[in-house]
This record gives sequence, structure tokens and C-alpha cells, in this order.
Amino acid sequence: MSLLGLPVPAERGRALTRVGAIVDEPRFHGHLTGRENLQILAAARGGDADRQIGPALDRTRLTQRAGDKVSAYSMGMRQRLGLAACLLADPQLLILDEPMNGLDPVGMHEMRDLLRDLTGEGRTVLLSSHLLDEVERSCDQVAIVDHGKVIRQGPISELTGGAGAAVEVQCSDPPAAARALGQAAAGSRIALTEDGLGLTVTLAAAPAREQIAKINRRLVDAGISVYSLRQTHARLEDWFLSVTSRLGDDQ
Amino acid sequence: MTAGSVAAGRRGSWLPTWPLIGAKLLDLRKRRILMAVTAAFTVGLPVLFYGVRLIYNLADPAQYGPAGTPGAFATAGTLMDEFGLIVAVMLGATAGTPDLADGMFRHLVITGRSRLALYLARIPAGLSILLPLAAAGFTVACLVTGFLHSPLPAGAVTPSPGAMTGAGLWLELDLIVGFTVGAGLGSLMGQRTVPVILLIVLEIIITPALADHALPGFVNGERLVVGVAMDQLKPAALAGGITVGPGGGPRQLHLPPMPTWAVAAVIGAWIAGWTAIGAWKMINRDA
Repeated sequence: MSLLGLPVPAERGRALTRVGAIVDEPRFHGHLTGRENLQILAAARGGDADRQIGPALDRTRLTQRAGDKVSAYSMGMRQRLGLAACLLADPQLLILDEPMNGLDPVGMHEMRDLLRDLTGEGRTVLLSSHLLDEVERSCDQVAIVDHGKVIRQGPISELTGGAGAAVEVQCSDPPAAARALGQAAAGSRIALTEDGLGLTVTLAAAPAREQIAKINRRLVDAGISVYSLRQTHARLEDWFLSVTSRLGDDQ
Repeated sequence: MTAGSVAAGRRGSWLPTWPLIGAKLLDLRKRRILMAVTAAFTVGLPVLFYGVRLIYNLADPAQYGPAGTPGAFATAGTLMDEFGLIVAVMLGATAGTPDLADGMFRHLVITGRSRLALYLARIPAGLSILLPLAAAGFTVACLVTGFLHSPLPAGAVTPSPGAMTGAGLWLELDLIVGFTVGAGLGSLMGQRTVPVILLIVLEIIITPALADHALPGFVNGERLVVGVAMDQLKPAALAGGITVGPGGGPRQLHLPPMPTWAVAAVIGAWIAGWTAIGAWKMINRDA
């Protein structure tokens, strides 16, 4: 096993030099201020980590509250302090476990921007989360771990692209439209929407513009008025559920 | 070799660095209640003890003797020993556990710093708080004994500066033992309350019982109890003039006095042993 090109655990100390991590909820000495907690961690890091305290606080927008005791921090502030602690290492690799926990919408937006900035600087951010919407927004690539094993990994667009895509159809006679499309579109799945005013055509592969036009033509030929055709992409969550055994699995 | 690899190399060293010790010192000295209790038991206690004696003496010199008698010095020393030991154990256990309780342990481990260095940094950090405070309290006792002793009761002799220094060093050694045992036990148990209770029981109940009563089949195993060994070294100035052990006194053991090397070995083994146990637990603790 290697980390940043170094074998671990043999070269663990050197490998961890450029790794920052938050595992579980970030917790600190509550009786110390944010800056003092970072001073302790910088002392453990050694090198010039103490010189990174100010920039790390600035970057996580904690400078104004750096002199307050951590016991008075909100969960979101502790998350940001955790990230500041990671930045002391000037990390090549950041491992963040549920970094959006406890953040308000503004905080989540800021955290997303910050993670994007960090990856833009050439750092790798490994984000572990159960919030798949958040993963979809923040990450380029995903790995799905199921029962302790990586079962799929790759760029999100490639992985969800393989799960198929759907076209939502609004028309004058959805049941008739379903029959008309069902006779012709082999391999696709057709379902009426819950309100009964439309239908969803799920295709095995991502729909090309021509496929959408073909659906439209077929409906018009069948004498059905088409009000709208809207292509929807498969979401990460849908893809996740399709490839894991977690649905209905209590373990 | 790059700057990064030099820093990484230092992080792997088991020797705690000055910044690491300073960081632990920062953590400890910012615990205000703990610091207040430590100051109260090390400095406040002798100040209160001699202050009351001084007030009584000034109010009614005929009935109440001078504040600084040899007997008062021995009593003050005993108080500072008993309460100082409790504080030392508290401080040691506190130095050994809050990283875990406060969730900082994981952050510290992730830095790649040697866990042994992280553990060892606690000892000089804690002692740098405890020992100067105890020395300040003891200085109060020495000053009162040296300057406010007149008139002494018949036959009483003020302890010499050398005897006072010896008594002070003995007190400091006792606190070092209490601190290192507290830190080791705290690290082992992952909490501070139970270690403090256990060591108070050891000091107040078990040690006197073992020193005073022979246990059948125990083969003088009492000698291995650190409190018994420390009593052997206790200077006469703190024992009201009773002399038994190599240090002068005070406890009349049911077993023959221990030779100095044996006393030193027992005390050294307790300090080194509990430090090793505490460090071992820290090294092997799941982060």
C-alpha cells in the first residue's frame, strides 16, 4: 500500500507530511481558542506549520472568531476549523469525512467553493459522504464502497451516463402515448407520471437529440398532442441505488 | 534532503520538541479550574496555614507561639505532601487524558508525529507548572520558619537551610512520582477521575496499612509500594525529628529499613514503569 508515492506504514511519517484529514466530527479542546488549537496542531506538525495558521484561518473565514473559545463555536465553525487544521500541512491530499455536516446553506456554498479552489491548486480532495447530492455537486470522480469494498469508481458523468437517461413527456393522452411508444421503443421503460398528466420514457442509453425527435414524431403520428419533451439526466443517487445492495438492506 | 523530509524525520523522533512541550503547557495552563486548584493546594495551603498561625500569634502571643516552629514546619510539609500529591495526580491524569476526551488525539495522530513524543511532552509540560508552584509554597514555609520562629519552645531547633532544602527536594520528588503515575494511569484508563481516586486510596489507605502491618505470605512486598519507599527517604525536618529511614524518618515500619539503593530503585521503577505503561497505551490506542 502506498500513499502519495510512499510505502505505508514503513514511510508513514513522511507520507503524512502532506496529508490533511478530518475523520468524523471535528472536535477540539473547548477551553482553548481556535487559534490556540491550531497552535497545538502546528507544534505537532513541526516545520513551518505555525506560519500557516494565519492563512488557514483567513481561508476558512475564521480570522474574526479565531480568538473565541472553541466551546462557543457552532458545528459549522468547527468544520471550518477542522479544514483549517488540515491546511496547516499545506496538503497534497485532503481527506474529509462529511465536511458539509452542520453547515447552513451559505456555509455549504462556501465550503463547496473552497474545495473547488483547493482542487484548482492541484490538491486532491477525497470527500467521504452519504449526501450523494452534495457529492454530485462537489466531486469529479466517485468511488462507491459497499460492504467495505470499492465496487465502482470513475468520473460521475461516465458512471451515471451508463445508467441510462429519461425523457419526460407532457401530452394530451398519456395512456395512448404509452401504448404508441411501447409498441415501437424496445428496450426502453415507459411509465405514467403520478399525476397522470404525462409519462416518463427511460432509455437504456443516454438519449441523443435524434431519439427525442423520434419520440415526438411517433406521438404526433399517433394523433397525440405533445406539450413538452424534457430530457433528464440520471442522478448519482439513482445510479447508486441501481448498483448497490443497500436498498432495503438494513446492514 | 528536503526541508519537508527533515520535518518529517523530526516528527518521527520519540523526543518531544520544545514547541510540542509548549503546546501541552498551553493546553494545561488554560484549564483555569485545574490551575486554581493546583495553586490553592501548593501555594495557598502553606499561605493559609502560616497566615492563621501568624494572626493567632499576633492576637495573643502568650497563648499562641510563633508561626515558624519546627513542628509547624513538619505539619506544613505533611499538608503540602498529602494535598500536593493529590494535585500532582490530578494534573498528571489531566495531562494524560484530555486529548482523547476532547477529540484532539485523532488530529494529533494524523500529523504523523511520534506518539511516544506526544506522550513524553506531557511530562515536562505538567511538571513545569507543578514544581515551581510547589517550590513557591515551600519557600513560604521556609521563610516563615527561618524568620518568624522567635521565641522557640525549649529544646526546639530551627531546621537548617540544608535540611529545608532536603525537605523541599523530597516534596518535589513526591510530586514527580504522583504526576508520572497519574499520567500513566490516566493514559491507561482513558479518563482522569478513577485514577485520581485509585491513587488517593493507595496513598491514604493502602500505603499506611502496608507500612504498619505485616501481611502473611507477602514476603516484605510492602517495600515495592512507592509510598513506603518515599517514607523511607522522608527528611527528619518533615517528620518532627523522628529518624528511621535513610532520609531521616518518619514511619516506624514493621520491617527493617530499606537501603538507599533499594528505595531509589523502587521510586525509579514506579516513575519509569508508569511512564512506559502510559506511553505504550498511547502508542497502541486506536485513533
